[in-house]
Amino acid sequence: MIPRTNVLDTAEAAYQSAFGVTLSSRVRLARNLRGLPFPDRASAPVRAEVRRLVMEAARDVLPCQDALSSSTLLARQQLFESHLISRNLLAGSPETAVCRNLTSTQAVMVNEEDHVRIQALRPGLALQEAWADADALDDVLERHLDYAFSPVLGYLTSCPTNVGTGMRASVLMHLPGLVLMSEMEPIINGLNKIGLAVRGRWGEGTAAIGHMFQISNQLTLGVPEERIVADLTEIVKEVAEHERNARERLKKERRLQMADLTARAEGLLKAARLMTAREALERLSELRLGIALGLKRRIPMATVDRLLLEVQPAHLQAWAGRALDGAARDKVRADRLRAELGGRRTKRMAKRTTT
Amino acid sequence: MLCENCQQKEATLHLTQVVNGEVTKCHLCESCAISKGIDVHATPLDLGDMLKNLKEKLAQVQPKPSDAPPDSSAACPGCGATRTEILKKGRLGCHQCYDVFSAEILPVVISLQHNDQHAGKVPRRASAHLKTSVESARLRRELDKAIASENYEQAAALRDQIRALQMEAPSP
Ligand SMILES: [Zn+2]
Ligand SMILES: [Zn+2]
Repeated sequence: MIPRTNVLDTAEAAYQSAFGVTLSSRVRLARNLRGLPFPDRASAPVRAEVRRLVMEAARDVLPCQDALSSSTLLARQQLFESHLISRNLLAGSPETAVCRNLTSTQAVMVNEEDHVRIQALRPGLALQEAWADADALDDVLERHLDYAFSPVLGYLTSCPTNVGTGMRASVLMHLPGLVLMSEMEPIINGLNKIGLAVRGRWGEGTAAIGHMFQISNQLTLGVPEERIVADLTEIVKEVAEHERNARERLKKERRLQMADLTARAEGLLKAARLMTAREALERLSELRLGIALGLKRRIPMATVDRLLLEVQPAHLQAWAGRALDGAARDKVRADRLRAELGGRRTKRMAKRTTT
Repeated sequence: MLCENCQQKEATLHLTQVVNGEVTKCHLCESCAISKGIDVHATPLDLGDMLKNLKEKLAQVQPKPSDAPPDSSAACPGCGATRTEILKKGRLGCHQCYDVFSAEILPVVISLQHNDQHAGKVPRRASAHLKTSVESARLRRELDKAIASENYEQAAALRDQIRALQMEAPSP
C-alpha cells in the first residue's frame, strides 16, 4: 500500500510537469531512392532491392529489423499500436520492413508510401531533439542511399503533400480540459487556419477517444525544417497553456463534477469484469485527468500512461502470451486493470498469482 | 512584366517550373493563373481537404494544346505511369513523373503547399552547386518578403548575402 501523503512525490511532480499535457514528440521524414519507381508502382524485385538496400544502410544504427511479410499479424499489430508502423504496413505486404533501434525511439519504415520513412520519437515536448535524431539518422542512411531530390521541389515523394522537406512533425497531447470546457473545436479551427492538422490519436476530431490529440504541420515545401519545428513548438506551448488553464477552471468551478467523473472512472477500472479497449482508454483518460487535478494522488500518472498502451488488443495478447478473441480480451483487459490499479481480485487471479 | 499567357495584363504571379530537368520561370497574371488552376489566394487547408482538392485539381487540369505532350497517353519513362493513372490516384509513380507531368503537377503542388521552392535540408552528398542554388532561392524569397514589407535594411543585407553566394559558386 502506498502511504497517503498530501505533498506530491518529487518524481511524480516532475513526471506530471513534463508529460502531463504533452506526452510525446515525433518527426517523420519521407525519402525515395533515385532511379526507382515509388513502392506503389515498383515491381516485386524492385521493392525487394529497395528493402535490401535500406536494411543494409540502416543495419548499424537500427539493428532490430523485421521483414514484415514474414512476421505474424499480432506482431505487426503491436508495432502499429506502438506507432512504429503505419496502417499501410499492418497488412504485411511483401517487401515491406521496419528497422528500429534497441529502444524503439528511432525507426525506418521501408516500402510504405515512400521507399523510406524515417521516424524519431522523444518523450514530452522535444521536437527539436526529435528533428536532430531524424536528421542524424537521415545522414547515416544517405551515406549508402542516393535520394531523389530536386533543387526546386526538394525531396520528391509519392504524394505532393509531402514534397520539399518530406517532414511531418507531430506532438501527442492529452486535452481533456479543453474538451470538457467545450473549447476544443475553436482551437482545432484556429490551428487548421495556421496550417496545422489536428487528429484524434485513436478517434476523429473532437470525438477523439480518451481526449488524445495529435497536432502536426501540413505544409512541407518552402519552410526549413528548423522553422517547422520551432513554429510547432511555440503553438504546442500555447495549446498546453490553454489546457492547463481549462484544468484550473474545472478544478475551481466544477470540483464536485470532476471528483465524481474521476471517482467513477477509477471505480469502473478497479471493479469491472469485462472492458472494451475503447472504454478502457476513456476511463484511463478520465483517471489521468483526476491525477492531474490532484484528485487522485495514489496512482502514478506513469502507470496510467503505460496502461494506455498495454490495454490495446495486440499488447494485451502479447502480455497474455496467447491469441484472444474479442470477448476473451475484454475479460483479460478488465482483470489486468484491476490487478494493476489495486482493484478487486477474482478467485482465479488470486490462485494464479500464488502458483 | 506582361503575362506570358495573354500578353495583355501585368504578371503578378512568378512561378518556378521544372520542365525536362530545366528550371524555368513562368510569369502569369492573376486571371490566367486561376484559369490554370493555381490557387492565388492561398490559405492553409485541412489535410483531408488538401487531398480531395488535389484529386479535383488533377481531374480538372485540361492542358492547352500548345503545352500538351504530343501523345496525351504518353507514359513516364521512369515508371510507366500515365497521366490518367496519376490523376486517378493522386500519387506520382516515380521522381521523374515530377518532370514529365510538371505542367499538371506544379500547379497542384503550389495549390497544396502555397509555395514553389524548397528551402530546407539538402542531401549532404549533393553538389556544392545544388546546395548554393537552394540557399540562394531561399534568400531570394526572404528578399521578396523584406521588400514587400518595406524592410529595406534587411533587403540590402539579403542582397549582399545573395551576391556573396554567387561569387563563391559561379554557375557552371
Ligand atoms: Zn494573363
Ligand atoms: Zn514516373
